[in-house]
Amino acid sequence: MCKNFCLLVIIVFALVACSPAAVTPVATEPVSTPMAEPTAVEPSPTAAVVEPSPAPVELLPMTFMAGYKPQANLPFVGVYVAKAKGFFEEEGLDVTVEHSAGQGQHLQLLSAGTIQVTNQDAAVLLQRRADPGLPLVAIALLGQKGQQAYAALKSSGIESPKDWEGHTVGYKGTPPPDLFALISAAGADKDKIELVNVGFDPRLLTEGKVDVYPVFKSNEPYMIRSWGYDLNLWAAEDFGVPSLGLTYVTSEEILETQPELLTRFLRGALRGIQYASEHPDEAIEITLTYTGPETDPAHMRFMLDAELKDAQSNLTAEKGWGWQTQEQWQALADMLKAEGLPVEDDISSAFTTQILEAARDK
Amino acid sequence: MNRSRKSGWVALTIVLIFLGGWEAAVRIFEVPVYILPSPSRTFETLAANPEMYLQASALTLGESLAGLLIGVLAGGLLAVLLTLLPGLEGGVMTLAILMKSTPLVAIAPLLTIWLGFGVVPKIVITALMTFFPVLVNVLSGLQHVEPALTDLFHSWNASRWEVLRHLRLPTALPFLFAALKISAPLALIGAVVAEWTGASGGLGRTMWLAYTNLNLPYLFAAIFILAAGGMSLFRLLGWLERKIVFWLPDSRES
Repeated sequence: MCKNFCLLVIIVFALVACSPAAVTPVATEPVSTPMAEPTAVEPSPTAAVVEPSPAPVELLPMTFMAGYKPQANLPFVGVYVAKAKGFFEEEGLDVTVEHSAGQGQHLQLLSAGTIQVTNQDAAVLLQRRADPGLPLVAIALLGQKGQQAYAALKSSGIESPKDWEGHTVGYKGTPPPDLFALISAAGADKDKIELVNVGFDPRLLTEGKVDVYPVFKSNEPYMIRSWGYDLNLWAAEDFGVPSLGLTYVTSEEILETQPELLTRFLRGALRGIQYASEHPDEAIEITLTYTGPETDPAHMRFMLDAELKDAQSNLTAEKGWGWQTQEQWQALADMLKAEGLPVEDDISSAFTTQILEAARDK
Repeated sequence: MNRSRKSGWVALTIVLIFLGGWEAAVRIFEVPVYILPSPSRTFETLAANPEMYLQASALTLGESLAGLLIGVLAGGLLAVLLTLLPGLEGGVMTLAILMKSTPLVAIAPLLTIWLGFGVVPKIVITALMTFFPVLVNVLSGLQHVEPALTDLFHSWNASRWEVLRHLRLPTALPFLFAALKISAPLALIGAVVAEWTGASGGLGRTMWLAYTNLNLPYLFAAIFILAAGGMSLFRLLGWLERKIVFWLPDSRES
């Protein structure tokens, strides 16, 4: 009784400290039922301080939905490791991990309040905010570079995007904006390139049905090489086109009503990522408990290594994993706008460093 | 009995010839395993992971049968209701066709929002998929009684309920079995599709993981299980039909 009361006092105190308006004891209610009135949240320099709970106390339940099937994407690994190593528990969280089939339902569930955090590609996040107006907010930017690249078989003789002229180039679903930006940055003529929708099937490249195939840098190149083919790869950032990768994302409502929950989540997950960077073998072992036997461990290791590399920049060297700036987001937004895609005029609500700061200032 | 045993051997031989041809083609043309795995490779995968496939199959089969049961009960009861209150038929059938035309993949996330991450949304999707063939078939069965027999029942002063109980329902039974033969394999597909759109277990999830890893032996192993399951359900229904609708001549025996 006293223990619960003390915890409640600590949590209420923490909520008061970090968000003056959210004084309702959210922690004692199911997390998906926001109790507090929505109010403007100001980044608070006096960050919340919650001691890691030493005694077994009631953990705060929440759900993280990975934006795709179980695999070694960095945002997933951070959560897998944090859960397995007890980092979330030390933060007083009981995190349930779900997986999306990757058709956007994780964004739907987040907007509906069924889950509290998921992950999303930065460019897609900006577009979904503008249309249909999903209330998404990035609380950490893990992919400091984009995930996409374009691949051709080395044997095809295609050496640069200029050589794409007269060939077929695949895209998944709709042609991504960075494709056109890359084509024009490389000085190629997009009218001389035939674009075809290929979906997910890298066999179309090896079987010669398409000459240039869109890949996730950390995924298909491993598969295709394991089948015995050499690849040429081109990524947007190699041609000076701004690109960003995966973010941890929450909704505006959860950011307003439960910043403390998000802070604890992010602190645990970033610790998981740090641990994975120091102990990649163990991180893959943990990941494999989610993926099942049809997954190749070496493939997962390739994925983790590639994503750890792209998660590091001058910015993260100074500020830590997941850091993000207005400059980065604005450059991406400008590129999307230049390609004629809907993006909000003011993108400053699309991301926040409030949670990153609070998580760091422990 | 003798005949059905013979037809069983014929079926087995045809399946074996098909698998043999497939195996030979894969070997002769050296088809890479990520394009098309050989049956032998597929069976090896099955044999190497018995526990995983058993668990996944049990879950998927359970969801299928639960969904099928609900779908059949709902479709059958609705058909009876529409026979007793024919005025409702136009409206209810419009609604049923609307539901039937909705691609369930598109509404699967909605079901997750309403019903959670567990098995319930999978059962609901399976029920939605199996309900329509039952409704349409049973309804036409209930309506296709011979006019002469209806007249006879009326001359006996039979109530609407008695006509249903003693005339319409027995007439509709063969129609129900025809519907079940369509709906039962559909139930397996329904559960797999539902799992494919997000699940933490089952054959659908196994297939989705295998496909996105382009690990085709794992994918085909699940397809083999589904094919065997669909065939077993179909045969079981044929056997039940011969037992229950005993007054009709069996097409295979005549």
